[in-house]
Amino acid sequence: MRMEIHEQACRGCRMCVEICPTKVLTFDEEACLAKVGKVEDCIACLSCTYLCPSGAIHQEDYPRVKNFYRDLEFCGRMEKFL
Amino acid sequence: MDTLTEERATLQETMSFLGAISSGIEDAVGESAGSITYVAGKDLGKRFAQQAKRTDDLEEALAVVRAVLAENQCLWQFETFQPSDRESLVRSTEEGEEILLVFRDCMIRQALFLYGHHQKGSLCNMMFGFFAGAVETIMGRKSSLEVLHAGENACLKRLLIHR
Repeated sequence: MRMEIHEQACRGCRMCVEICPTKVLTFDEEACLAKVGKVEDCIACLSCTYLCPSGAIHQEDYPRVKNFYRDLEFCGRMEKFL
Repeated sequence: MDTLTEERATLQETMSFLGAISSGIEDAVGESAGSITYVAGKDLGKRFAQQAKRTDDLEEALAVVRAVLAENQCLWQFETFQPSDRESLVRSTEEGEEILLVFRDCMIRQALFLYGHHQKGSLCNMMFGFFAGAVETIMGRKSSLEVLHAGENACLKRLLIHR
């Protein structure tokens, strides 16, 4: 997966750094900006992306959760419970 | 309305029902709601895994749990996670063996989000109980599943197999 933080959008609030469960994001004290560290540790929970007040975090090529009730295969598999 | 649309609508209703139960049981029963749903889930997990292959190996046990879930049409995909600074997938601690798991497709999460209910509630507890019960039956050792992080697209959990 790929992950980027838009430097001009980041306000340095550190919320993304604090929420990340696998410590992928670090904080550059000098520039007062969040930085992407070990991207290989990212589990793509997307908490940082949802939390960022300025929408500065962008991820690509990550496993997206499928929407159960809109997915044909899932609907088919759920049939026996309905 | 065609069959597929009907199925989708029913599934969506089921999910909203699950969300409502999750949100309501905590108000009605109080703090013990989590324990009640955990025990209920654990019993179900034990029952589902009754006929499953027994093993002492944690990674093999997880593969068996995955098979049990698939056999019972449970859509709860998970994968193991090894942080880059950790030497091995399974870590031995004072309490026992621990492994990190990432849960992606989760019906509970979607049911909760659909109507804005919070995560880590009683429904989540039921699923943790289910997982712990299944692993306990397969490995013959006490186990517990702890949520380290509940995210929008994935959750990180710690499975501990007690000594």
